[in-house]
Amino acid sequence: MAPTLTAPGALDWTGRGVTIAQVLNALTEFRRRFARAEVGGDDHPRPRNCVMTLIAVAANEADEKLAQKLCTAIAVHHPMLAIVVRDQADVKEGLIDASISAPPAVVLDESAAETVASPPHYELVNLHVKGAAATHLAGLVDPLLVSGVPTYIWWLGTPPFGSKELRDTLQIADALVVDSARFARPYHSFLGFADTITHAHHRLGFADFQWARLDPWRESIAQFFAPVNRRAFLSGINEIGIDYRGVGRGNRIPSSVLIGWISSALGWSLQRAAGGSGGVVSAQFVAEEWRIVDVAFRSIVKPGLVEGEISGMRITGVSGGTTFRLSISRAPDRSWRPPADIGPSEFKQLHAAGDDEAGLEIAHRRAAQHREMTFQNRDSLHHIATGDAPGESVPKGSTVFVRERRNPDNSMVLLTLINIGQADTLRHVQRIESNDDASLLVKLLAIGGHDPVFTRSVASGAELMRAL
Amino acid sequence: MTGAAIAPNPLAEGLYDYRVAEPAIMVIFGATGDLSGRKLLPALYNLSKQRLLPAGFAVVGAAIDDLTDDSYRRRAAEKITQFSRTQPVDQRVLQTFLDAVFYIKVDFSKLEDFKGLARKIDELDHARHVGGNRVFYCATPPPTYEIITEQLKASGLNAGDGYHRIVIEKPFGSDMKSAHELNQIVQRVFHEDSVFRIDHYLGKETVQNIMAFRFANTIFEPVWNCHFIDSVQITVAEEIGIENRGAYYDKAGTLRDIVQNHALQLLALTAMEPSVAFEANAVRDEKVKVLKAIRPLTDADVAKATVRGQYTNGWVLGEHVKGYREEPNVAQGSLTETFVALRLFVDNWRWAGVPFYIRAGKRMPKRVTEIRIQFNRPPHLTFGRDAAQELDPNAITLRIQPEEGISLKFGAKVPAAGIRLRSVAMDFLYASSFLVEAPEAYERLLLDCMIGDPTLFTRADEVETAWTIIDPIEAAWRDGRPPLQTYPSGTWGPAAGAKMLEAEGREWHRP
Repeated sequence: MAPTLTAPGALDWTGRGVTIAQVLNALTEFRRRFARAEVGGDDHPRPRNCVMTLIAVAANEADEKLAQKLCTAIAVHHPMLAIVVRDQADVKEGLIDASISAPPAVVLDESAAETVASPPHYELVNLHVKGAAATHLAGLVDPLLVSGVPTYIWWLGTPPFGSKELRDTLQIADALVVDSARFARPYHSFLGFADTITHAHHRLGFADFQWARLDPWRESIAQFFAPVNRRAFLSGINEIGIDYRGVGRGNRIPSSVLIGWISSALGWSLQRAAGGSGGVVSAQFVAEEWRIVDVAFRSIVKPGLVEGEISGMRITGVSGGTTFRLSISRAPDRSWRPPADIGPSEFKQLHAAGDDEAGLEIAHRRAAQHREMTFQNRDSLHHIATGDAPGESVPKGSTVFVRERRNPDNSMVLLTLINIGQADTLRHVQRIESNDDASLLVKLLAIGGHDPVFTRSVASGAELMRAL
Repeated sequence: MTGAAIAPNPLAEGLYDYRVAEPAIMVIFGATGDLSGRKLLPALYNLSKQRLLPAGFAVVGAAIDDLTDDSYRRRAAEKITQFSRTQPVDQRVLQTFLDAVFYIKVDFSKLEDFKGLARKIDELDHARHVGGNRVFYCATPPPTYEIITEQLKASGLNAGDGYHRIVIEKPFGSDMKSAHELNQIVQRVFHEDSVFRIDHYLGKETVQNIMAFRFANTIFEPVWNCHFIDSVQITVAEEIGIENRGAYYDKAGTLRDIVQNHALQLLALTAMEPSVAFEANAVRDEKVKVLKAIRPLTDADVAKATVRGQYTNGWVLGEHVKGYREEPNVAQGSLTETFVALRLFVDNWRWAGVPFYIRAGKRMPKRVTEIRIQFNRPPHLTFGRDAAQELDPNAITLRIQPEEGISLKFGAKVPAAGIRLRSVAMDFLYASSFLVEAPEAYERLLLDCMIGDPTLFTRADEVETAWTIIDPIEAAWRDGRPPLQTYPSGTWGPAAGAKMLEAEGREWHRP
């Protein structure tokens, strides 16, 4: 009797010291038995649906578990073959341990708190590759790939940029996905990554988790310049400042790529760049062949962000006599607290503030203006309120306070402040919704790694890094 | 804003799934109504959640109810919490969105109220750096479109800096004459490029995919014609009744409510020639050509090629439901149809002689919309009649909703010693074939409107041409030809609907 899908793991297969041919046979048998088990007594198994082969290369146990977890998470909606390779080239055994399973996919979103039944076309192949075989990854996994769908390689640590092993591995891939926040030596690895992109075949795509983390920033910046009457501001930018999470020099890759994105889009050319202590970078670009744009970034301590992630950005400029300033900050600071005792008063006024420091600052300014106006008119107000003739009685002092509406957690808040000319500050709060690795991976894979804007931005960012 | 072409925003390049709209103020007339609460506000909330609403964007609700900004926000929050497609609602996104929501009481008959609206909008525009962009959304009953449009003009709200767009919900008129008049009224105030007539079906990914399926693949288009296709069936079925829309539905009926817009749009997309580009006017030109090529039904044709039905009580999805005439606000003895079956022909080179069967109805066994392309049988049965007993002709089914996808049916040999053929299906499922989720139709269309892309909206001539197909049918039905049939709720319509196809040696596909 065929095993049923009600018993998780009933179809799982494991093998120690096996060859890839044995793994392939086991995979074929696994699929046949799975199809039978899925339909029970029916003699017409369902058609197979698979959108990709995802190969995750992990150098240690923690990464291996992370890869398994994320593959299983995204398989909830995306049928695929996932091959998780634990690369142990330094172990001399020269053996392959393998397992094949179709784990129940669990929705990672805790709010949903839901376990989804095993998706019918998700297979997880785990390979522990030891010894010399580990340096021939392409030959190992090639026989297992699903024909006709893209193959993505997700390298969890730092790929061996410039090595023959990586070049060979990329031969079987449609795209290489990395997370440059995890690069061991960010400066050298980033330049290696940029070189790999430059010299890769045009069919090969590249993606970086950090690029996906930049999406909200790119969207907010693009959004600011979207109105037709602000398009001219692009030619008036004179200063850009970036704060990124890190200590000392830290990981400057996202900052460099973000600047690379802007400069390459606007046709700026790098004139000079210098690095200072505390991760400070100062650079000058030339726009429209004559105008100087100053760029600076610095590292700051910011919990909750990954290494190198952007925490704040400012773009200032002047166009047609109008000054403008765009300020975007992630997880704005929360140093200010309203006084506990606000006290009773006849002239109380609530000023709604935002869930961030800047919002409170604006509210404070408004409150101060209100307080000033109230003070200036206190006699007449008192006269109207009491009916007493001027001088008969003395008005009490008024209290104007700011009501705090900040939420306890603003780590996923992106605050945009817009100043144009003399007009009031426009405040715009957005939520960064999905920033977990599974969501970012899905986003990157959906694009397929062929993103010319990313390629261009990395090249410009690398130019800036090299100039330091 | 008109004038010279503006260079594209270079920073918007490569923002996949992110389309950059300019800040705007969206005025929703009928802000306290059903459409606003169920669809518009939840769609705007979800756009906000995806960070697709630009800084400065604001919603001004306008309706007759006495509400303040705060009380309207509370009401909006309730509706969004109840109807948002993404659940649970993120309270922080919701709060941020509500901060940009305002309300003003507007009596559509009072110009002074519109002037008050104009003042409120101007204040918001200044404070929020909107630059004069306006979207006026008529989420109101069709009879109000005229007065709203005229009041917008009288109060000067249709002019000034920035763009000024109006969104009108279907039905666009109740016949050719009223649609033409409505178009004239609207076009006196807004340029046709600024009129966005919403048929939310066109915002569905699967509907847009009809064009991608046909025109981005080389293997289907060569067989997409009368030489290979036997017939086309379009089914738009709903398991629900008329809910609380008795007053409207009893005047409209399924022919006007569904066939004139949704079903004919699906037919047009299925039958159209490839447009030179996926650009608003190019696509709409091709759709209009198809609608113009549909053979008008004469009086005699209507009796043979149409079926109208009305549901009686019955069982739907395991629940007993009442008949149409027992529904609230439906006239006793009403002759309004809740089911329509039509046979139409597209008289052009590609489709000569191919019948297009349309079936639309309420209280059917389930909610399903699909287009089935039925191919001819092979000219010769190589394997003999016995072997092919279980073999149906090839068919492509474009499943619009639910279980969005495409299915190709073809014959295969049953594994056995002898030769026996059976039909098998090759399925493409939208839900599991892409790494991204499809947006809700209203989200897509609202954003398209803000961006100024009218491709998925219907043009004036498209609407009017569709009515020229419907009007003769309505006229014959008014004279009782053919008579109204009844069908129990939970069935696929009256028997006459099935007989219409049986008489031609065909049968309805069971979705």
